[in-house]
Amino acid sequence: MYELRLYISKKGRIKFVSHLDMFRLMQRAVRRADIPLWYTEGFNPHPYISFLLALSLGVESEGEPVDIRIVGDMSPDEIKERLNKCMPEGLYVESAVKPYDKSGDIAFASYTVTYSKDDVSESELFNSLSSGVLTCEKSGKQGKKKVMKQVNVSENIKSFTLSGEGEDILLDVVLPAGSTFNLNPLQLSQAVSGYLGKEVVPVRMIRTALLTGDMTKFV
Amino acid sequence: MDRKLERILPLVQKPARYTGGELNSVIKNKDEVDIRFAFCFPDSYEIGMSHLGMKILYSAANAREDTWCERVFAPWDDMEEQMRKNGILLYALESGDPIKDFDILGFTLQYELCYTNVLNMLDLAGLPVKAKDRKALSPIVMGGGPCVCNPEPVAEFFDLFSLGEGEEVNSEIMDLYKEHKKRGSTKEEFLIDAAKIEGVYVPSLYDITYNPDGTVKAITPKNGAPEKVTKRIIKDLDNVFYPDNFVVPFIDVVHDRVTHEIFRGCIRGCRFCQAGFIYRPIREKSPDVINEQCKTLCKNTGYDEISLCSLSSSDYTGIEELLEKLLDWTEKEKVNIALPSLRVDNFSDSLVKKLTGVRRSGLTFAPEAGTQRMRDVINKNVTESELLETAGIAFSNGYSAVKLYFMLGLPTETPEDVEGIGILAKKVVDEFYMNPDRPKGKGVTVGISASSFVPKPFTPFQWEAQATPDELKEKQEHLKNTLPSKKINVSFHNIPTSFLEGVFARGDRRLSSVIEKAWQKGCKFDGWGDKFLYENWLESFRECSVSPEFYANRKRDYSEVLPWEHLDFGVSKAFLEKESRKSYNAETTPHCRVKCAGCSANKLNGGKCDV
Repeated sequence: MYELRLYISKKGRIKFVSHLDMFRLMQRAVRRADIPLWYTEGFNPHPYISFLLALSLGVESEGEPVDIRIVGDMSPDEIKERLNKCMPEGLYVESAVKPYDKSGDIAFASYTVTYSKDDVSESELFNSLSSGVLTCEKSGKQGKKKVMKQVNVSENIKSFTLSGEGEDILLDVVLPAGSTFNLNPLQLSQAVSGYLGKEVVPVRMIRTALLTGDMTKFV
Repeated sequence: MDRKLERILPLVQKPARYTGGELNSVIKNKDEVDIRFAFCFPDSYEIGMSHLGMKILYSAANAREDTWCERVFAPWDDMEEQMRKNGILLYALESGDPIKDFDILGFTLQYELCYTNVLNMLDLAGLPVKAKDRKALSPIVMGGGPCVCNPEPVAEFFDLFSLGEGEEVNSEIMDLYKEHKKRGSTKEEFLIDAAKIEGVYVPSLYDITYNPDGTVKAITPKNGAPEKVTKRIIKDLDNVFYPDNFVVPFIDVVHDRVTHEIFRGCIRGCRFCQAGFIYRPIREKSPDVINEQCKTLCKNTGYDEISLCSLSSSDYTGIEELLEKLLDWTEKEKVNIALPSLRVDNFSDSLVKKLTGVRRSGLTFAPEAGTQRMRDVINKNVTESELLETAGIAFSNGYSAVKLYFMLGLPTETPEDVEGIGILAKKVVDEFYMNPDRPKGKGVTVGISASSFVPKPFTPFQWEAQATPDELKEKQEHLKNTLPSKKINVSFHNIPTSFLEGVFARGDRRLSSVIEKAWQKGCKFDGWGDKFLYENWLESFRECSVSPEFYANRKRDYSEVLPWEHLDFGVSKAFLEKESRKSYNAETTPHCRVKCAGCSANKLNGGKCDV
């Protein structure tokens, strides 16, 4: 038995499939591909498949890490090949490697967010992102109660760059991610909307990479 | 993907309902097909994607090279709002193309309360809801499914109905359509020709006249349409088309598993049960064929659960052989088998042992009535001792939760029959505590689900008056007040919903205007408790001067011309009348394997019946 980390890209309309549904989807893909997965030994055995970090609904990805446990000695290359024959449209196993970092090492994520110039100008975006006063609302918990919490967005933007491309504006941004605190591009856009006093909805959002605390790529 | 659509999807719940792109969905080149077919399910994605009939007919249509069949569901109200606001027409999931440009729209009518959704979907598609206002040949709007055994309430909205099993007749309709499209025919020319296909009912080719008392006087065919339209059946289930692939949804749907039907029809003849009559005659599929097809489906979908379905699974003659064959590979591959629709009287110990092999959930049985007299009236040939024995077997095998289905408002029902439900449930509770092999350290839960009886066409109760909403309310109260144990919990069906179901089940064409009015008043998703607008329905009846009680609560004479008189589903009217008369004397009819009851449905299969 050995542990394998898959990096699965998620592109196109499948971005509307939620994190919860992805687990079931993977479970079935693995069955179709006939990959000898290790099953948990409980009352209700299920295959060990672990998505390390949730991806928000509507966000695409260049490669989400998914850990699986293999019984026997089927090679990572063969697993990758078999799975790619069985994946639904829009999902692709980019690589299958031995895990190195632990899931708790994830600290940041980088995104490319596309806005339409019909909705917002490059300077408006630049001004709001460097304003230092961006905030958004985020659901959180106070004891057992669900509450809305005000979050300081500006101090959590690790870095950003803006570039124009035809009718679009591309924002490359690094935001906190991981098991303790997350900020996603939709919340960022919500903060920008609040600052500018108008609805700014991204046209496209792609998670490009996960990073560790020292800003190196998570592997 | 359409950019407009892409921007509204993040704003709606469960956007994956509207994206398409699921595994095994069929993509074709639209320039290389002659027929674009939209299979429309007039309810939410989660309900529609659970429906086996759709999976079969979708694959069968796509097996034709000249046809591209796609799926369409009723958008939930948040999506509808966005679509209307942004000018997006109802589209098919595979191509994303608006269905108003398709050749054929096929709606499946599984329950009466979906009718307003059909209208809403046509409207969202940008089409007039009435058939006569859709002048062009395409799209032809057709309907199928169990409700078309009396489609009269929705007759004005459809061009044609396909009666019975669709695997073969749909293809014949498509062949004919293709010919007429090539010829440049008008819709009328096509429909007159289509009415000549066995099993095709074209409502516009029948004139209905009424008596002064409101009952139907006569149903007269014209333009060569047949006097009686006979439903279609598949003669040989082993050789009929069955998909080797199901579309696998991304989101969790109601029945998210491999479903396989093991036989069609039912030997039982319970007098309230429409399915038990309209799906006759009995035809079984052989265990080997089922086993192989299940294996292929599991392989192609990745599902880890198989559900064997039929009207009464334990009546399948090959059940033990089939389970053995399945368990041979499913246990190893960690595939679970579910066997719904079990009967109380032939639920064997060896069967339950086989079923508990993989996973265990609650058990459900349907005694349907609380006293033996009442069960004899409805011909539910189950005795109290059989039920208790079965419950005993289940308890010995580790089950501690049992659900019991009953009906209220059955013909001839007395307060004692209603109390009998609670008394019977109490005996099941006692059976648990008397059982030495019961699961230790657990209490028992017995759930009663009491629905309201709705008389349906093509059953021996088709002439009966449905209990009025007030009577049903009283019966529910009486049952609640006479429950003899705290271990029993009871749930009821919503009475207004059953009332409306009763109106449409045996309604006629004059209800079309009520349905249209109710839809205009915002009625849709009527089967969903929280969306059901009863006041709007009552208003619509009043404004159209149509009395719902006339349809639901009126006892019919045997000699009355019924609105579905021109449709033939196999079982003869004489047989139904005989069964009705027997019910008044609480006289039972043994099931088909004991003695043929002479329902005459076997005429559809050349006199053959797999009993």
